[in-house]
Amino acid sequence: MIPINFDYYLPNTTQEALLAYTNITQNNKTAIYYSGGSEVISMCRTGSIKPDAIIDLKNIPECQELKIAENNLLIGSCVTLTKLKSSKLFPLMGTTVGRIADHTNQTRITVGGNVCGTIIYKESVLPLLLTDATVNTYSIEGNKSVSIHEIFNKRVNLKPSVFITSFLVDTKFCNTKYFHIKKTANEKIDYPLITVCTLNFEGKIRIAFSGLCEFPFRSLDIEETLNDINLSKNTKLDIILSQIPGKILDNLDGSADYRMFVLRNTLDKIIS
Amino acid sequence: MDILEKNVVRKDAWDKVTGQAKYTGDFYSNNMLFARIVTSTISHGNIKSIDTSIAEKLEGVKKIITGQDVQVLCGVLIKDRPALAINKIRYYGEPLAIVIATTEAIAEDATKLIKIQYEKLPSISSPTNSILPDAPIIHENSSNYISLVNDVKPINGTNIASSFKIRKGDINKGFSSSKYIVSKSFSLPKSAHMATEIRICDAEIKADGTVKITTSSQSPFTVKKLLANYFDIEEGKIVVNVPYVGGGFGGKSAVFLEILSYIASNAVNGKKVRLTLSREQDFVTAPSRLGLDTEIKIGANSDGIIQAAEMRFLVDSGAYSDISPNMSKAIAVDCSGPYNIENLSCDSLCVYTNHGYSTAYRGFAHESYTFCLERTIDELAKKCNIDPLQFRLKNAIKPGDFSPSQVEISLSNAGNISLCFEKLKKLINWDEGQKINIGNNKIRAKGLSGFWKTPNPPSNASSGTIITFNSDGSLNLIVGTVEIGTAGKSQLAQMLAQKLNMDYNRIYITQDVNTRSIPEYWKTVASLTSYLAGRAVLNAADDLINQLKENASIALRCTVDDLDIGEEKVYMKHNPKFCIGFKDIAFGLKYPDGNVVGKQIIGRGSFIINHISTLAEDNGKGKVGHSWTVGAQAVEIELDLTEYTYRITKAATVIDIGKVIDPKTTTSIIKGGMSMGIGLATREQYLYTPDCVLLNSSLRTYKMLHIGQEPEYLVDFVETPQIDAPYGTRAYTEHGIIGIPAALVNALSTATGKEFSTIPITPEKIWEWEKNDTN
Repeated sequence: MIPINFDYYLPNTTQEALLAYTNITQNNKTAIYYSGGSEVISMCRTGSIKPDAIIDLKNIPECQELKIAENNLLIGSCVTLTKLKSSKLFPLMGTTVGRIADHTNQTRITVGGNVCGTIIYKESVLPLLLTDATVNTYSIEGNKSVSIHEIFNKRVNLKPSVFITSFLVDTKFCNTKYFHIKKTANEKIDYPLITVCTLNFEGKIRIAFSGLCEFPFRSLDIEETLNDINLSKNTKLDIILSQIPGKILDNLDGSADYRMFVLRNTLDKIIS
Repeated sequence: MDILEKNVVRKDAWDKVTGQAKYTGDFYSNNMLFARIVTSTISHGNIKSIDTSIAEKLEGVKKIITGQDVQVLCGVLIKDRPALAINKIRYYGEPLAIVIATTEAIAEDATKLIKIQYEKLPSISSPTNSILPDAPIIHENSSNYISLVNDVKPINGTNIASSFKIRKGDINKGFSSSKYIVSKSFSLPKSAHMATEIRICDAEIKADGTVKITTSSQSPFTVKKLLANYFDIEEGKIVVNVPYVGGGFGGKSAVFLEILSYIASNAVNGKKVRLTLSREQDFVTAPSRLGLDTEIKIGANSDGIIQAAEMRFLVDSGAYSDISPNMSKAIAVDCSGPYNIENLSCDSLCVYTNHGYSTAYRGFAHESYTFCLERTIDELAKKCNIDPLQFRLKNAIKPGDFSPSQVEISLSNAGNISLCFEKLKKLINWDEGQKINIGNNKIRAKGLSGFWKTPNPPSNASSGTIITFNSDGSLNLIVGTVEIGTAGKSQLAQMLAQKLNMDYNRIYITQDVNTRSIPEYWKTVASLTSYLAGRAVLNAADDLINQLKENASIALRCTVDDLDIGEEKVYMKHNPKFCIGFKDIAFGLKYPDGNVVGKQIIGRGSFIINHISTLAEDNGKGKVGHSWTVGAQAVEIELDLTEYTYRITKAATVIDIGKVIDPKTTTSIIKGGMSMGIGLATREQYLYTPDCVLLNSSLRTYKMLHIGQEPEYLVDFVETPQIDAPYGTRAYTEHGIIGIPAALVNALSTATGKEFSTIPITPEKIWEWEKNDTN
């Protein structure tokens, strides 16, 4: 049960969505954009959020697109994980989102929601970081396209009035060699101790992590170490472990020390 | 006609596969009010103030009740638990107030507006700490509490709620003749019942004083009795309804939510009030599974024969005792496991802590103590350099031996544990080796456990049954067991069909229980349905048969001795062609001229378990249950030695069930038990802060075994009849869980060489043990 009352908006266009947002917030009320809603439900249940209104983006055509157009894969922000996975258009992304939550939730959780939500793992963003994806947004300034690296640092840094309509991934990345390893405490379906995604592009490995710190990240420093042909495996491992860009996560799923142990094993596998 | 040992379609099948089955929460009425409870955010302390003034002003709020309004103490053995905390808080999540409102949302909203000020006291986070001399006292005046039974008495000035003692033989002599001795300490965490259906209860008090309770409970008749006791209501005025229950696992045997619902309804002039616990509240507030701290020492001679054992069990009852004293008793009487230990000393204490309070859980503490015992036995077998299966066979209990509480063992009362181990040996392919290197730095390992369990009913646990006829000759079987998912009533119908030699599909049952229209059945717990209710059903069947024969003897003009029954007919034994159908005599016998003689036939039966006694205070001699069910279990795992991750490949149970009634249902219930055992061994546990605040109170953080992670389950049976039980069948519904945690961790210990002394064992736990050993 969600014990609070809120207004529900179901706009059909980006303009309607923004108009709704503007109207609500001008009356000193709070509104959030959403699509799948699984996080909205659990956050409202626990009382972590109490929005006056929620704006459902899933009827907006731009947010639902999933197609290849002019060497780009276009992924609407409201595309569900299931739909993305079963489209097989981008195997690394399909595999990655296919390990988020269980099947029932995957039919509800959307790519945009997973990237923008409060969940700290946001595994959907890893392939987007590795492919230097473009993010299409809509706001008072109209449609805008920016690099994922511009708006994503630890989390999405957009004003609450801005929403993502879609992601663009250059198709040259879609079928290159990749690795996806997800390690959990014990379960097949669970939050990650570590999720690692790698992509081989032009002879170099790109790598991104979730679960290791309180935020998902791609590290150019780590990539440089990985791709240095002059270093031995063990030296690489030692250097990488010193290049983690934040405090190692320590929670009920796994202690920081244990995560380091798992990381070392996992990297060992990747380098081999 | 033989319908036992055949698969039948359980009577609840269609309801459940179509979604037509109705549970308490499915019955709505228009004028219902809704209640939510406010719970404490600290685990131990005094309530300075509760300010409900803002919440009361919220539109739609009808009433707010606190502990000051209802000064009542509850408990099934010791009345030690206030319905709502009065002045003192003893666990995180303890109910402090009830809000009653026109909608659930308003009630929930109002709970957040209630301001509570606390004065914190130091918390006790384990039973071991709880018995330390300087431990804070959780119940200051425990000796003033009223005990509802005479063998459970809190010890004043301590945190001990009850204590049981077993003294058998001479342990000093036993240990001095032991060449090998293993001493171990264990600490097992508390965990949740996690029934699919959360706890929910509706209460209403009608103008004539009738109290109507509809609840998701395993103990409708106990709800009635205890509400009458706590609130001084005439018992006959209370009617408890229980529709289908979506799983209980013991957790719904405790009378808890019904008390709060009644209080809520009473506060709003008897209007119907629904009280639901959210899943998160169910974790923190509702009674949960026990924790257990154990010290255990076992000695064996050079032949591997156990000479002596000394044990101390501290049951973590949490803040209140509920049924935990009986769990400490259950551990004491079965502490040897299915092994013959002639020199035995055991102290089993039930101890208060500042955890949420414990209640019965599948296995009634056997799944906990068996872990400690069977881990120690495995280590002792290794020390003796004897194969662990062989070691258990050498020590297996047999007819003529005596149980810890000195009950003489027979094949009828305890089955055949040796045969279970022999069968298990083949089933799990034990002889291929306990530890095999399978390449890629992986080990396949097997572990074992034996188990036994006797139930612990009160000496007056009774059951009653009525059998009525429909005019077409079919039957209605009326019995007060609750359908909690075990198909208990279907198996009773199967027994009745066998007894009357008739079609199972022509016997109808009512799944709902109503305490006013159905004879008392103690509680749907302790795997007792087949015995306690089964005996009453067969007793009622005898009564029915006598009456049928009486009516038939008039029609067939013979004595009742000449008659037998089958296929809904009464016939003459020497000439079955002379017969008359049930339908023609069930409502008297009609003559051609229209006269009717005889009477409507109603079968009536009942049963009380005999010879149940309390335990002698000095040595624990006594009999708490009528029989044991024994079994042997094994788990096979594959461990990755680099990452310490493991897969469970097989789990096996061989159980001496006496007689299989319905093979498929029985097998799947045992598999379900194994699945829960795997959950306990690998992931399920309550995690607390040092202040006893529960950390994992949602399904995001409380881990359960998922479908897809299940191993291959193997189940086989031994059938040694229990002479006094219906068709020789033994209790079995809980038992699949009991030895699995031990068997699994024995396998992990064999694979890693680490002698684990707790559960769950996650890959991180194995890594920790490895790391600590290396350092």
